[in-house]
Amino acid sequence: MLDPTRIDKITSDLLRPIRINNAFKLWMTVLIVALVICLYAYTLQLKNGLGVAGIRDYVSWGMYISNFVFFVATSLIGMLISAVLGLSGVKWAAPLARIAEIIALAFAMVAGLVIVSDMGRPDRLLYVIIHGRIQSPIVWDITVVSTYVIISALLLYLPLIPDLKICADKLEKAPKIQRDIYKILSLNWNGSPEQQKIISQATRALAIFIIPIALAIHTVTSWLFANTSRAGWDSTVFGPYFVSGAFVCGSAAVIIAMYFYRYNYKLQDYITDSHFDNMGKLLVLVSVVYIYFNLNEYMVPYYKMKKFEAIGIHELFSGVHAFLFWSTQILGLVLPTILLLFKGMRKPFPMMIIGIFVLVGGWFKRYIIVVPPQEHPYLPIQNVPMNFKIYTPTLTEILITVAPFILVLMIITILSKVIPIVSIHETLEEEIENPKPLKGM
Amino acid sequence: MSEQEEKPKKKTRREFLQELGYVGVGALIGGSAIFAGVNYDKRKKQVDRIKVLTAENELIEIDKNGVTKVVKSKKEILTYLQKEGREGIPGKRWVMVLDLSKCKNAQRCMAACQSSHHLRPEQSHINTLKMQESINTPPYYLPKQCQHCDNPPCVAVCPVDATYKRPDGIVLIDNERCIGCRFCIAACPYSARTLNWTKPLHDDEDKDKTYNVELNVPQRKGTITKCLFSADRLRDGKLPYCVSACPNGVFYFGDENEDAVTNGTTKVTVRFKKLLADNGGYQLMPELGTKPRIYYLPPKGKTYPFQEKDKALLDKELE
Amino acid sequence: MFKKNIGIKISTIILVSLFSLQAFAQAWTIPAELKAKTSYIPFTSSTSKEGEDTYTKNCMSCHGNPGKGNSMKALNPIPPDLAGKVTQQRTDGDLFYIITTGRGVMPSFKDVFPEQERWKLISYIRSFNRQYVQVLSTFNPQKAKLVKFDITYNAVNHLVRVAVKATEKTGMVVLKNDSVDIYAKRYFGRLQFDNGMITDKDGIAYFKFPTDLPGDKAGNVEVIARVTDDNYGEVTYQTRMKIGVPTDKPGLTEQRAIWNVVSKSPIWLVVVFTSGILFLGLFLLYIGFSLWKIRKIGTL
Repeated sequence: MLDPTRIDKITSDLLRPIRINNAFKLWMTVLIVALVICLYAYTLQLKNGLGVAGIRDYVSWGMYISNFVFFVATSLIGMLISAVLGLSGVKWAAPLARIAEIIALAFAMVAGLVIVSDMGRPDRLLYVIIHGRIQSPIVWDITVVSTYVIISALLLYLPLIPDLKICADKLEKAPKIQRDIYKILSLNWNGSPEQQKIISQATRALAIFIIPIALAIHTVTSWLFANTSRAGWDSTVFGPYFVSGAFVCGSAAVIIAMYFYRYNYKLQDYITDSHFDNMGKLLVLVSVVYIYFNLNEYMVPYYKMKKFEAIGIHELFSGVHAFLFWSTQILGLVLPTILLLFKGMRKPFPMMIIGIFVLVGGWFKRYIIVVPPQEHPYLPIQNVPMNFKIYTPTLTEILITVAPFILVLMIITILSKVIPIVSIHETLEEEIENPKPLKGM
Repeated sequence: MSEQEEKPKKKTRREFLQELGYVGVGALIGGSAIFAGVNYDKRKKQVDRIKVLTAENELIEIDKNGVTKVVKSKKEILTYLQKEGREGIPGKRWVMVLDLSKCKNAQRCMAACQSSHHLRPEQSHINTLKMQESINTPPYYLPKQCQHCDNPPCVAVCPVDATYKRPDGIVLIDNERCIGCRFCIAACPYSARTLNWTKPLHDDEDKDKTYNVELNVPQRKGTITKCLFSADRLRDGKLPYCVSACPNGVFYFGDENEDAVTNGTTKVTVRFKKLLADNGGYQLMPELGTKPRIYYLPPKGKTYPFQEKDKALLDKELE
Repeated sequence: MFKKNIGIKISTIILVSLFSLQAFAQAWTIPAELKAKTSYIPFTSSTSKEGEDTYTKNCMSCHGNPGKGNSMKALNPIPPDLAGKVTQQRTDGDLFYIITTGRGVMPSFKDVFPEQERWKLISYIRSFNRQYVQVLSTFNPQKAKLVKFDITYNAVNHLVRVAVKATEKTGMVVLKNDSVDIYAKRYFGRLQFDNGMITDKDGIAYFKFPTDLPGDKAGNVEVIARVTDDNYGEVTYQTRMKIGVPTDKPGLTEQRAIWNVVSKSPIWLVVVFTSGILFLGLFLLYIGFSLWKIRKIGTL
């Protein structure tokens, strides 16, 4: 049995962030102001049409779609950490599962909004359901992304039920309404073996089910491109290429979030150096897989130099996109992978910096996948103004692209202010099975 | 029958549908109606008679005085036009043949198309491209539009059935349905589609018009617009706008089922397959498996020189 | 050999320059009797209006608006402004000949417009000339009604026999030595088959009919015959003959395909998609049921 004081210590440590402080208020104010500015940009787009963005008939998918791919990609990490690692019994990942799920849920939810911002007629959004064609990858994408949102939410909620009970009991200072909600959502949890059994079975089923769904959301997203005959998109490795890239982005996002929580929520005892070390190793693994797929994706067309693919390869390797391409590949992928091979780099701070590089690189990588292949269609671009030939994002477009990031930050911030971001219930169980001295005891 | 002789049919029919609604069915049955297949000469003299296409797609001729005009609501007219626009013209398989040896980049096709479909100057359903495959092969002009593929990649990817293929082969876009996702633009290897990125050119003037899917007018902000093979004109027995506008005899248009295509400039009708066989007809990028309904005759023995300024442009591109 | 080549080149140059000179001078060689031909239709504002419709559709893309000087300059020779002096100085017969036969960039409209419509076009062109006074032809168009066609088909040798006669009060008159053309009616125009023929002494001409011309479902083809005779004018006759290949091709959207509508999507896709949705629904029911059970156990 566990010492009651340790139980209290763990519980209060993990419940401490659940309160509204001035830092939270300030942070939310900044986010809301920024969001309002971005939403104003979107109202301009609603009023004047998609033309306020730099996209035109040739490069017709620009930053919005790159952003969509990035958001879907990042959300995949939930599946990797909570399902794949969880099911294979990797213990160290357990405390990170909730962070990963929060990231997955936030990014997946917002991904749906990103796609709406790219629509010429957002007022007809429901047509996708009313008149949906099951042959269209967009319909598949909407189906699997919304499924992923639901399953991710459930996968966040089910393991949370015991914690919600704790919240309802222990958070005496919280407003009554908040405690009532905890109470309702905790479903009369009493920790009985029957309840334990049901919840572990259901969680396990969710964890299994989310694997194909997660693979599907990004594979289908890759098919939005690969199912066309455009040179540069017309590739059979796009599915696994996208999925492997997604894990890179997601791992980086989790690392950044871990760093933030560890220091802001004072969770050094729960998100430890060894967690960072392990996440660093995981990031190396997924990066190496991604580098391998990159090699496939660029080496094969480079070798053959087929007419239109050669133009694309030339533009990336030594043409107009060369700077972006090489900085993305080297600074955002190869260099981080090499650095993380050294133990000294797998410490919280360097990893957070590396994570930012990987995440930013990941965003631009999506841009490189989406935009350049559209600049060189099979037939020449003629008899159109210059802005049709060269894609230049506008300020409005950039603001609309930033909005989803603000939304994600808001969702993550709010979620981590109402639920414990490391599972109390599981930490306690782990303590019982595997007691270890906590620092400061 | 010449195009000219078909003319009255269009006016009456369109007036009926767009302004007045359908002709009272009673008038159709009421004795005065006789079928159009009557003697050619007899028909021409009957000034007081008009031709009407019934909802059952039968062309009938009726006495002008016996017509009851039924004013229909805009919504009913729209429903009728939408239905008609999905069904197409039965028994037809439209084809177009373009003789590249005759194109001299007059761009009359582009202008006629843009004005009839209310397009902005930078929007084109048909675009004459300056082409040259390699440094030693000859340059030529390529009028390029939607290829109305029999295996259309754009239709395949459409999430809402806004762009669709008709039984008569035309690929149309329904702007009452389009959500502006632009997946079709991404999927089309011929760059044949364009979006109304901002307010369409004649948005205010067209405000009260009933949307005609076969003309794609009024254009709508945030939706796709593309070549329609002038489906509205075909229904009236007329050649497409671009075909009629060409001064150089580039375009042939017709029905594959009839094995005949008619030149838009000379109005001469020839056998479709023989035209292809005699001139080495080919399709654009057949290797993509899109099965285009547009055929090209190679620019062999061009009757017009390639313009110097265009040559300079291509040389720059090929370097 | 070398000299021969030179000779060819020189003669080509001469020919080409002659042609361009001719083009420049716009000299049409029109036979005198055709030059003198005049219309039997009186030119009125209504014929001019009908002519204008035809003009707008078929002529304006090259000739521009008469009197505006906006004809298509890129063509060689430049199509004349039809309100201009050059055109208006021509006789009605000249204009009729030019429209009928065409030359170079100017297409022949013989098979496109019936004689009447060509005259109406001239009526429109003349409406730009105030000095113009029409000289009416004495030709009586009513005579065309007397002409009778007899068209038969011999399926063995694939020949169409066209016999042309006129039933005058004095008795049958055979139209011999007249030019006859026959056409199959197509959606946008007339498809001429075989060449134009001259009727023999019995007023008969034979045309080779292609064995592979598509007809309607039953193989019917609308056959149009046209005879041009000095006394009876241009007479056209249309009849339906069962001489084509029966054609009844299905619409192009019959088969199940990825690009077709949902109801015609591939079976495997319908099965996969529906079972996927079904499975998801059942799965969510299971999760919902589990949650309900947890709640129920807790209340006990």
